[in-house]
Amino acid sequence: MKSLAKRFSKRALFLFVLLVLACTNNPYPDADSDKKILYRSYVEAPRTLDPAVAYTTNAHAITGEVYDTLLEYHYLKRPYELIPALAAALPEVMTLNDGWTSYRFEMRKGLLYQNDPCFELDGPGHLTREVVMEDVAFELMRLADPEVNSPIVEPMSNIQGFQDFSARLMARREADPAFSEQPLPLQYAEVGPIEGAKVEGRYTLTLRVSTEYPQILYWFAMPFTAPVPWEAVEYYDGDEGRPSFSDHPVGAGPYVLSEYDKQSRFVLEANPNWYGVLHPEWKAPAATYPSEGAPGDFEAGRLDPEMVGQPLPFIERIEFSREKESIPLFNKFLQGYYDAAGVIKESFDKVIHEGGLSDSMEESGISLEKSVQPSIFYIGFNMDDATVGSEGGERSRKLRQAMSLVVDTDEYTRLFSNGRGVSAQSPLPPGLFGYDPEYVNPYRLIDLERARELLAEAGYPDGIDPETGRPLELTFDTQDTSAQGRLRFEFFTRAWRQLGINVKIEATNYNQFQEKVRNGAYQLFMWGWIADYPDPENFLFLLSSEMSRSVSDGPNTANFQNPEYDELYLEMKGLPNGPRRQEVIGEMLGILEEERPWIELTHSEAYSLFHKWLKNVKTMGMSTPMTKYRDLDHGLRAQKREAWNRPVLWPIYVGSALVVALVIPGIFTFMRERQ
Amino acid sequence: MLNYVLRRIGYGIFVVLGVLLLLFILFFAVTTPEDVARKALGERVPVAVIEQWKVNHGYDKPLLPGPGAWRDNMLVEHYRRMLTFDFGRSDADDVPISERIKSGIGPSLALTLPLFILSLVVALPLSLLVAFFRETYIDRTGVVLAVLAMSVSILLYIIGAQYIIGRVLHWFPISGFDADPRVILRFLALPILVGLCAGIGGDLRFYRTVFLEESNTDYVRTARAKGCGEARIMSRHVFRNSLIPLLTRVVLAIPFLFMGSLLLESFFGIPGLGAITVDAIQGNDFSVLRTMVYIGSLLFVGGQILTDLSYGLVDPRVRLE
Repeated sequence: MKSLAKRFSKRALFLFVLLVLACTNNPYPDADSDKKILYRSYVEAPRTLDPAVAYTTNAHAITGEVYDTLLEYHYLKRPYELIPALAAALPEVMTLNDGWTSYRFEMRKGLLYQNDPCFELDGPGHLTREVVMEDVAFELMRLADPEVNSPIVEPMSNIQGFQDFSARLMARREADPAFSEQPLPLQYAEVGPIEGAKVEGRYTLTLRVSTEYPQILYWFAMPFTAPVPWEAVEYYDGDEGRPSFSDHPVGAGPYVLSEYDKQSRFVLEANPNWYGVLHPEWKAPAATYPSEGAPGDFEAGRLDPEMVGQPLPFIERIEFSREKESIPLFNKFLQGYYDAAGVIKESFDKVIHEGGLSDSMEESGISLEKSVQPSIFYIGFNMDDATVGSEGGERSRKLRQAMSLVVDTDEYTRLFSNGRGVSAQSPLPPGLFGYDPEYVNPYRLIDLERARELLAEAGYPDGIDPETGRPLELTFDTQDTSAQGRLRFEFFTRAWRQLGINVKIEATNYNQFQEKVRNGAYQLFMWGWIADYPDPENFLFLLSSEMSRSVSDGPNTANFQNPEYDELYLEMKGLPNGPRRQEVIGEMLGILEEERPWIELTHSEAYSLFHKWLKNVKTMGMSTPMTKYRDLDHGLRAQKREAWNRPVLWPIYVGSALVVALVIPGIFTFMRERQ
Repeated sequence: MLNYVLRRIGYGIFVVLGVLLLLFILFFAVTTPEDVARKALGERVPVAVIEQWKVNHGYDKPLLPGPGAWRDNMLVEHYRRMLTFDFGRSDADDVPISERIKSGIGPSLALTLPLFILSLVVALPLSLLVAFFRETYIDRTGVVLAVLAMSVSILLYIIGAQYIIGRVLHWFPISGFDADPRVILRFLALPILVGLCAGIGGDLRFYRTVFLEESNTDYVRTARAKGCGEARIMSRHVFRNSLIPLLTRVVLAIPFLFMGSLLLESFFGIPGLGAITVDAIQGNDFSVLRTMVYIGSLLFVGGQILTDLSYGLVDPRVRLE
């Protein structure tokens, strides 16, 4: 019995020692503390990493690092500026006479893909191969392939023969099932290339694109059009233990996806085959830290002379850990285990004070970076509706104007987004060509008296509908059935109630809401748009007739159709940034100001927090990851982590004392019982 | 005995077949494959792509048996797949579900097995102790603490422990998981501690009641009358004779260890089967969800049969006929 007790106490002691040894809150291996590893988090794994399909920020956080593109955005300059990446220079542009414009891209020679087993398809022992223009043409054909289901078919259809290739491919597949069984490159070769995407030699691609769509170039700065090796698409088919291509990206970018466990962790490692690493002597603009930037970059330390001209990337590994809950994520950021984080609503007041960082955050060396997203959130009127739409003419216009005059966006932003957001005066967000910071939309001011006058002029004095003799009734349709959503919509309905208008909230599930939109059975709705690329066309097209939901199932859910606006839109679309374009945009905004198909609400604003050991931080706004430009001081990070996370052990001693204090009287009681 | 086991397995098969029928109604009749495809691919996907997706996932067949489709229909296919453990691919991202289950079992067991054993090791002696000191301050304090522990939501334990132990005291990571044996303990310590605290109140009250009920029986009085020591009575007589209700609770819980813990895994970032189930619910991944429900029903039936068999092992009076 005694030896049993002895053995037990030995085991208990061993367990206790083990537990004390495990007593650290560092979630990473100790050996990693002296490496340049950037720690990031994610909530949900991307559905796909296929660059032709992936369209979400979390997917681009991987595909944007793995797939390098022909062009990319300048890291520091604003407004955004395109620079060559895999391309040797920006493309030569030539306007042809027949409504087409040609873009001639030259690719750098000697570029290599990352090492990957898929290249064994080229011959035994092959680990990589040269990147050639045929790979870009192959990816363009994948975008056109209906079975790939790319979300950017519509803009890419501006390439001559894009839709025709798609139709030929589908017709061939339907006619001959054996054809579909062949490898994709063979299928594409048999159908013939896209007419307007001509490859000459190994390194030249000439595109013929509709002259009306010069914005096509922006798509060549996104992973959709990155060169993709056919071997990877063929090899990673999801059979015989191989992952599918949508889970195994193979590119020519600065990083390689070395670990991909959707449930817990992704790891990106610096790609030793990337041209910036293999050929630093090229001093390529997208592989060297820039020497120029926007005003304020020098003061913010982003143009540090020690950094300028240095070859990229600086960070050797990026680790993404899954954090489904925001509180643990934020606490780990405060402990130094994540290098950057957003501001969570639970800690907003603790972190942000009067629009800036609180003192305690500043003392910890945390910095705040605010960036207005190229986005717009708005309330839309269905212009096909008899009461609020264009059918009602002047009467409906004045109703829309009156309703616009009572929605207080500043208050809305303060209540529902902790003040994060810029009140929108037009569809164009700050940072885009055409945005005028001085412009004030007269119908976005708060003016209850003027609103009442307009409503009376519209034939609804005090909001009374003369046909019924009761307050005018409208419906606000939404797919958001949450309690928070309800509060948001009640904010608007309360504002309109000041005018005597009764707006009912019709919250339904997503499918029912979509059904209503398809059938045109809605009056007011709330919607948002985040830009694909930084051009005013990407916002102003949302109100063009050709994009009307009721006509073409396009994103113009307000069904706004105005011939004058359309004409100006077509002109603006083909113009380069300059005074004439600014003038045309001004006229377009004037039409929207008066017609009021939307009540513009906010351009959302992201607040990002960074520890001071993270350097060269500049947020991009669009989902374009630029980790290769960032650097970090891992020595300082290790030092701070050590200082911030020393285990506090006194509660163990107090707890042990309490247990002893409880047990000893128990033993006495036991002894007394036995007697 | 063999007859009994076969009969119980037979009943179990009926239960599982019934569960499969309910799953079919819920996941195929109430929610159509068209809805599932649109949820996975997006609302504005061309019809041809939806059709191809349905073919790839085996959702393109007639729903029920009928002329020309007596064998090749979704009802038969659903039963065939589930009964042969060919679960197919996830609706959300096309990953084979069996691979996902294989990768999730390890982390789930790494959490639930030590938690289960530790709960028994702590709760049983504590319950015996409070039962032994019945009607004393130790018993009363134990019961009050147990009721208190039961009254607090597990979410509060999780958030509180993450903040106090992880954030303030810096003992263990707030969340995360690494299967490396050298560091796994630091990631499991906090969720195990939380699971232990959240479960011990209920366990202690249940076991205490069982032990007290047993300690009031005639044979215990007789043992006391014969001069048998109280400690010996508790450990040799009371504990052994309380095994039937204890086994009902304990053996039934064993199969569910494989399913992991929904909340603990989700909040502590442990990539086990519990977290996979939560993800499937949140992401409308119906194929993963119905597989997890099916596996849950199999484990439940298996647990029931194991419990019955264990009665026969611990109590010679129980005859399984």
